[in-house]
Amino acid sequence: MRNWLRTFLARNGVGLSVYMLGAVALWVIVMIVLPQLFMLDFSFRNNWQQIDPSRMGGPDDVYTMVNYHFLAFGSPNNPDPFNVVDVTVFFRTIIAAICVTLFDLALCYPIAYYLAQVARGGKARLLVLSLIIPFWVNELLRAFAFRILFGEEGTINAILMGIGILSDPIDFVREDVALYAGLGYAYILLMIFPIYNVIESLDKNQIEAARDLGSSWWRIHRRVVIPFAKPGITSGCTMVFMLSAGALAAPQILGGPSSLWFTQIIYQWFNTGSNWPRGSAYAIVLMLTCVLLVLILMKLFKVKIGEIGR
Amino acid sequence: MTSGGVMRIAVGFYILLFFSYLFGPLLVMSFTAFNSSEFPSISPWNCFTDEWFEVLIKDNQLMGGLKSSLVVGFGVVLLAVPIGLAASLLITQLRSRARSVVYTIAISPILVPGVVLGISTLVFWERVDRVVLGAQDGFFYDGYFMTIIGQSTFIAAYSMLVFLARLQRFDPGLEEAALDLGATQTQVFRKILLPFLKPAIGSAAVLAFLASFENYNTTVFTIVSESTLTTVLASKVRYGINPSISSLAVIIIALTLIAAVAHEFLKRKEERQAIAEKLIANPVAIKAGRSKRPLGLPIGALTAVLFVGVLGSLWMGQNYDVDQCKVRVAEENRVKFEALKQQRLAEAKAKQTTSSQDQDSAVDAKQSSGQYQNIFAPSNLGQQIESDSGAEPQSETETKDAKQYQNIFAPTNLGQQVESSSDSD
Amino acid sequence: MSADVQLDNVWVKFGDFVAVRDANLTIQGGEFFSFLGPSGCGKTTLLRAISGFQNPSTGRILIGGKDMSGIGPNRRPTALIFQNLALFPLMTVWENISFALEVKGMGKRARRKKADELLELVALPAQGDKMVSELSGGQKQRVAVARALCAEPEVLLLDEPLSALDLKLRQHMRTELRAIQQRAGITFIYITHDQGEALTMSDRVAVMRQGVVDQIGDGTTVYDHPETAFVASFVGENNSFTGTVTEMKDGLAYVQTECGPIRSRTSLAAPLKKGDNAVVFVRPESIHFCKDETRTDENGLVATLAHQEFEGHFWHLALKTESGHDIRMSVMNDGRSEVYEIGASVSVGFSTQGAIALAPGELAVD
Repeated sequence: MRNWLRTFLARNGVGLSVYMLGAVALWVIVMIVLPQLFMLDFSFRNNWQQIDPSRMGGPDDVYTMVNYHFLAFGSPNNPDPFNVVDVTVFFRTIIAAICVTLFDLALCYPIAYYLAQVARGGKARLLVLSLIIPFWVNELLRAFAFRILFGEEGTINAILMGIGILSDPIDFVREDVALYAGLGYAYILLMIFPIYNVIESLDKNQIEAARDLGSSWWRIHRRVVIPFAKPGITSGCTMVFMLSAGALAAPQILGGPSSLWFTQIIYQWFNTGSNWPRGSAYAIVLMLTCVLLVLILMKLFKVKIGEIGR
Repeated sequence: MTSGGVMRIAVGFYILLFFSYLFGPLLVMSFTAFNSSEFPSISPWNCFTDEWFEVLIKDNQLMGGLKSSLVVGFGVVLLAVPIGLAASLLITQLRSRARSVVYTIAISPILVPGVVLGISTLVFWERVDRVVLGAQDGFFYDGYFMTIIGQSTFIAAYSMLVFLARLQRFDPGLEEAALDLGATQTQVFRKILLPFLKPAIGSAAVLAFLASFENYNTTVFTIVSESTLTTVLASKVRYGINPSISSLAVIIIALTLIAAVAHEFLKRKEERQAIAEKLIANPVAIKAGRSKRPLGLPIGALTAVLFVGVLGSLWMGQNYDVDQCKVRVAEENRVKFEALKQQRLAEAKAKQTTSSQDQDSAVDAKQSSGQYQNIFAPSNLGQQIESDSGAEPQSETETKDAKQYQNIFAPTNLGQQVESSSDSD
Repeated sequence: MSADVQLDNVWVKFGDFVAVRDANLTIQGGEFFSFLGPSGCGKTTLLRAISGFQNPSTGRILIGGKDMSGIGPNRRPTALIFQNLALFPLMTVWENISFALEVKGMGKRARRKKADELLELVALPAQGDKMVSELSGGQKQRVAVARALCAEPEVLLLDEPLSALDLKLRQHMRTELRAIQQRAGITFIYITHDQGEALTMSDRVAVMRQGVVDQIGDGTTVYDHPETAFVASFVGENNSFTGTVTEMKDGLAYVQTECGPIRSRTSLAAPLKKGDNAVVFVRPESIHFCKDETRTDENGLVATLAHQEFEGHFWHLALKTESGHDIRMSVMNDGRSEVYEIGASVSVGFSTQGAIALAPGELAVD
């Protein structure tokens, strides 16, 4: 370590070394690691700050599992065997996020393949450019657009009834259709680009060769393209899953009145609930679940974390 | 060949569907910005108007949010870009093992949900504020400060990725050459590495600003008592919506389009230059350079369309009186309302007299819908005469409207529809 | 100003791998000195150690009598010309050349003047405002030389700078570099795997093998009086015959080889004695056709002609002896060349001075 430091100093000079190490240390320690540790610490505490600030730091200010216990079993006088609302919301969020991810994958893989291998020159460029444009528009505005589309008075209802398919308007928001469509929409780009980047580097000759040997198109994809695109697919799925499980704006705007997203519960603990420790505990559970699922995904597909985000 | 043809059509259809999923919502939203209806919708189309842009500009909350978004955005650029740069430089100098450890930590903020970053930042700095300053709501517990820090946590990772991509193409031999010629390490950094990274710094800054500008998940926790554009938008959208938000979207989409066209234009120019340089160095490449002329992208056509669109709307604006249209629509609505009222009365009467005879009431309803059409027709005519010059498309939608109403007022769902539409009024 | 460079027991190790093994040599001030060796022999590492990019694991490097340990590349009186030239792509030609002055804080006008002078020196007048990317390969080469000279080094280090050029240009640049060295009057240390470059340009050549300097000498010494089997096989073409020394007499070795007995001279630096294993090297151009097989100082062989190539001033022939040994021989084309049929039996010979017996060792692979 000392040796390394010496060569590092010699290579970069004092000023630059201090800048590099200082900035990275500030980032990693003060902005990434310490806040997470404090949040972890916080999640094991009582909410004295709101209930009774004078007891903070006193003998009652001890570590407790109360917040995690609450997530699992609810308040002490909860008649159910577990915290029905929160646990249900939690699992629904995770499962819905997985569904959104699969939906995006199915939707985007053909497009990514088309852009990378089939489309050529100016056309491909135009399509890629036009893919990007919707994503400069704010996430909230995108959700807002879906609300206009899917509202009870919305465009889709109007069209469907105009054609005569429907006689009654469907409440897409209550049925969560709007939410899933909006979430799927929000992260299309993050699915397409990693896959696109990988498939683009696939040698066209490989596909030609496979076709030459008489492979059907789905076999070509199953045996040649998809194995090659695996890192991109994993990367895209990771991003989409993480972002949709952690989404807040879309559920707030598009979620039905009866269906909550787990992040919304966290938000409530911080906002109206004024119970930061409990919110922290919930956030930790969300984060650990997400990370765990992603690690499993990467293990399954044998992709290293270093390949994500490229 | 025929199966290939079918395949091609299927692919074309799929792409069409995909892009309408991509652009449909934005287009619909953009149109709602020009509809005078209080609720953002394109059907029924009332009047073409630009009043929502005025409402937007006069919205103090939104404008205040915009201001703080700009402040936070610049703060994030100033913090996140240097951090990302430092991290990328450090990582390129590390050996394999240390490198992957630092890289993993550095990109972890991208993989952590935004709300978690917001919460951890909030909890940490609130604590620091309490312990270090011993004060409530001191310097560290400040919406701007925490938001800049919280957003930079993951935006620094974005800019790091941008720099790493650029650094991959850097020849470390250049640094050694400069050192060998007597430059100090700082001079090497300033005169060799920074100029090389300049384009990357530009794009990292733009990316950082935009990412900050549209961030919600982290900001909503760290902003505390302040508000940015996104938090204002979120509360506006959640509690009642109006088309001024659509008009904001129109502005953002227009800016994006302009930026995209400009970007494309610059890129083309660059490529043309590169080709020219190649020609000087190697005249044989002329042919190759020509045949490889990139991009058949109809930039000219795109700009022309934009231009015509702007001109057209200006011209429309001159020949079009919103107030007149509004009066007319109000009148139409009143007439519709009358029709509904009569229908209801008729219905009630039908119920009263022969509640058992379904057939009768159905006939009644049919009659009333016919009646409605009749009432509507003359005014429709009159309107055509009235504004023959400018509002041709409007009149078309009006007739569509009429048809739509016909269906909506189909006997089966009469009561329900009346209720809901009176609600929305 | 030129300075001598002295290597004192220099070792460079990367973990377990030894890149340079105990290098001990002195390069005179104003000398054109080449390190010649196959890729991976440690010559580039040695060069990087001299220029300061690589610290020796042990040993000292002295330039102009001054110990260089702890002195960074930017404070050494050396300038390095990189294999890929490493010209700064974002600067113009003159900015590249005058970079060494820029970092010293010299004003723009003075820098420009100096750059123009140097452009003159490397025969590239009035090209200062071009971008590097607009230059041809040979022009870039000259700019790299000018840029290095601008730093006014006492020692110029060149790391295979000609390897990217085509053959014609390479030959032209050899003379050019040599001329520039004489004009500038500074020490040149040149790294190459191309013996032609090393032999034509250098005052002295050091032949390296696997981190070891095998032999140092001027071109003719290294070519005509190799001290190790590696040097003999690496520098120029050589036929080799392995065998055992049966007798040492009158400074000549009698070696029994698979192609019969051969009498040859030996190297003073690596003496042989009776019973030693030895390799006899014979240059293709030392072999000639024999009419008269009775001369006492001649070695004779009978072989069949397997293949022949005409190269203008030389015929290159491939022969096969009865024992199956391949022999290459080159015959000067004197205008009345006798043409042999492929498969014809020929008798060839070489003088005892045209053959040299050395201790067996690693041979260079072609």
